[in-house]
Amino acid sequence: MRAVRRIAVVAAVLALVAGCGGDGGGGDGPGLAVGPSDAPVTLRVLAGSELLDLEPVLAEAGAATGVRIELDPVGTLDGAEAVASGTAEAGHDAIWFSSNRYLALQPAAQARLGTATDIMSSPVVLGLRRSVAERLGWVGRPVTWAEISAAAGARQFTYGMTDPSASNSGFSAVVAVATALAGAGSALTREQAESTVPALRDFFAAQTLAAGSSGFLQEAYVRRATGADPGEPVDGLINYESVLEGMNAAGTVPEPLELVRPADGVVTADYPFTVLAAASPEAKDAHRRLAEHLRTPDVQRAIAERTHRRPAVPGVLPAPAGTAVELPFPAQADVVDALLTSYFDKLRRPSRTIYVLDTSGSMAGDERIGALRRSLAGLAGADPSLTGQYRRFRGREQVTLLPFSTGPGSPQTFTVAEDDPGPDRQRIADAGAALQPDGGTAIYDGLQAAYRIAEQQIAADPDRFTSIVLMTDGENTSGADIEAFRLFAGARPAALREVPVFCVLFGETDAEEMEEVARLTGGRTFDARTAPLAEVFKEIRGYV
Amino acid sequence: MTAPAGRRSGRRVLSWLLALVLLGVIGFVVFRDVGGQEPEPVAPTVVSGVIGSEKAAFFADERVRNAFLAHGLDVRADPAGSRQIATTVRLDGYDFAFPSSSPAADKLLAQRPTARTYAPFSSPMAVATFAPIVDLLTQAGVVAPGSSSFDVRRYLELAAAGTRWDQLPGNTTFPARKDVLLSTTAPCQSNSAAMYLGIASYVANADGVVADQGVAAQVTPSVQPLFRDQGYLPPTTEVLFEDYLSAGMGRVPMALVYEAQYLAEALSPDPVLPADARLLYPSPTIFSRHTLVPLSPAGDRVGELLTSDPQLAELAAQHGFRPTDPRPFAAAFRDRGLPEPPQLVDVVEPPSFDTLEGMLTLLGCAP
Repeated sequence: MRAVRRIAVVAAVLALVAGCGGDGGGGDGPGLAVGPSDAPVTLRVLAGSELLDLEPVLAEAGAATGVRIELDPVGTLDGAEAVASGTAEAGHDAIWFSSNRYLALQPAAQARLGTATDIMSSPVVLGLRRSVAERLGWVGRPVTWAEISAAAGARQFTYGMTDPSASNSGFSAVVAVATALAGAGSALTREQAESTVPALRDFFAAQTLAAGSSGFLQEAYVRRATGADPGEPVDGLINYESVLEGMNAAGTVPEPLELVRPADGVVTADYPFTVLAAASPEAKDAHRRLAEHLRTPDVQRAIAERTHRRPAVPGVLPAPAGTAVELPFPAQADVVDALLTSYFDKLRRPSRTIYVLDTSGSMAGDERIGALRRSLAGLAGADPSLTGQYRRFRGREQVTLLPFSTGPGSPQTFTVAEDDPGPDRQRIADAGAALQPDGGTAIYDGLQAAYRIAEQQIAADPDRFTSIVLMTDGENTSGADIEAFRLFAGARPAALREVPVFCVLFGETDAEEMEEVARLTGGRTFDARTAPLAEVFKEIRGYV
Repeated sequence: MTAPAGRRSGRRVLSWLLALVLLGVIGFVVFRDVGGQEPEPVAPTVVSGVIGSEKAAFFADERVRNAFLAHGLDVRADPAGSRQIATTVRLDGYDFAFPSSSPAADKLLAQRPTARTYAPFSSPMAVATFAPIVDLLTQAGVVAPGSSSFDVRRYLELAAAGTRWDQLPGNTTFPARKDVLLSTTAPCQSNSAAMYLGIASYVANADGVVADQGVAAQVTPSVQPLFRDQGYLPPTTEVLFEDYLSAGMGRVPMALVYEAQYLAEALSPDPVLPADARLLYPSPTIFSRHTLVPLSPAGDRVGELLTSDPQLAELAAQHGFRPTDPRPFAAAFRDRGLPEPPQLVDVVEPPSFDTLEGMLTLLGCAP
């Protein structure tokens, strides 16, 4: 078993290396290199991760234009922040996200953009298992967000959606449903954004699956639908029309998804391929050549066929029938802020996270225990960045810190107040600051203790997203081993089967074992060996 | 034997002569043709400019590229919002800037004085819409029956009342729960929205061009909702018009565009206008005078050619622009068997650059 797994890992690494072959530049991050390696120009593009599906089109475009494109995937909001702060300019020539609307909210970011060329589009819609859509009577007739919301409030179906502070599809859904339920005919005002809270509560009551990216959401949905993941299957998901149609076309779901495009309106991603103002003249020229090529009718058709997105160039495909209404997207930062704040602090099913934290002797030193303390302080509010503000501990959230070394330590649980979260956040930061390194590393004893805590907490208050975050810097040295955890994970009671473990790879951690823990529980791993620990803790917040 | 031989010899000389003449003719023809396309045997000079996005299709047109190449210029153009060109775009390395209006060009001139500017063509602001919307607007009194005139005052009244499409009486064709709002670009970035601001502020100012900051401060609050209520706005008119063409009525029921954008589609050999597409003219409207500001001698040459070369004027007309000489414009429509667009009489001037900037600052645009 172990040998087979090793081979798989080696093969995966080889595939990755092959994929990046001929990468002459930076090679930082999980960049995707496409096109001939001897191409005269390489365009380094900070991009939404969902654009990886364009790989074959971009490879052909590279061959045709001599412009090789390297996609460096990142979440929309993180990307916006990188542009606004100027760090994007250091390693990239262009950006390509599902929309530039987040950037438009920040004048500092706007000034850093050059020519933006729309390449394709895809509205954000609801995909439901066909039988559920039929049961609800939503096939073959217009359905409004109000109807969807009423059915969600009555728990007639469940769905998954991405974190709106991390991913454009989730935020587009929040905007669409809030605008439609406010009955506003124009862009939401701050007052409307705040007043829609009671109506929106119904809508978000049916969300039982969350994710930090539309790709992970899609995978988690499929794994649950096929039984590969231990959790309850979900009835539907909110995602790009193109992703949902792609899932149907790939046949990876046991039951096809019925696409519900709400009659009162949708928000559409328009994928502007945007060169940065600071890019070199060569890069600007390469951007122009590539953008022109991507907008030729043949390539537009290829994009439509392969990615199910709609062409940006008119006349390439017959115009869609009907009059799908586009809802206005708020252009004021305070409205967006109000929407996100009420989503996290008031609307969303509150979350419960148990942080299983390695405090063994090897964690000593500022770059280990110090980084951990600072990461927790960042989540408690010390991080002033845009993403830091949205990813901090939220009102109503339950946070448990469970340190472990030779054995599990004593857990401390905090529930963040809805109206005045500051003092509770401070208490979490203080508890983090008091962590002291000493002793061995009993990873699996710590994890099992966390599941026991989760069991009690779920019994007391079942209506929360519950997840475990495991941070360890080394191999398991005491207590139960991975075999024991395998048995434990397979025998979990139903309520705990939906609780994923998100593992942070740090220091000398055993990546392979951590991958298995994530796989066994429906979670995933995050790599803090190459990225700062605080950034990784922030990224995980999109998933819990 | 000698005679035939002599004759043969004479013939041989003749055929040599003929062959030489033929070679000469071929050589001349080849030389003339090659020379006609590239009078300078050296590689063409690359000239790059930043242009208002609505001229992107014109500069990308192979015939336009060739017309410039015939003069030894390889012209490359980056599209951008016109106000962006005047404010945020880094102009270093560009040979010319070609925004879509005289106020934007004035702003550039203040920073980069140059001896000459060129205004080879202009285009009035127009409303691209759909037949069912025209019917609804006619019932609502915004469009006079059977005309293509869009009454800005009546429209501003509807908008100020927060009227939604589904509240218009007898509306079964477009019952959207969306306000009756003309779609525009972002005024902070794009010239067409600034021209709209000029039109709306003129009407809101009791039919007078807003001429000073005091009046601007009085008028701006009443026109602000026209932009704010739309939410996020596209950065360029090209993006807006493409949304109109490809996404249809639900996304963009009516859009303020340059007349040239719509006409270029109508004149195109392969038009992609929706079957029920219609063009209306705001009353009053503003002409945008596309003004080229040279940043280098090569850029100056581009401006000169656009103004003086008859072929470029013809091509501009075929792209829907109204050249200074009206004849190529009329010819473009005659050649395609289409009615010539109306001569517009209800035309007002845009506010001065400073007044426009003052209003934009009041709208929240960074100065």
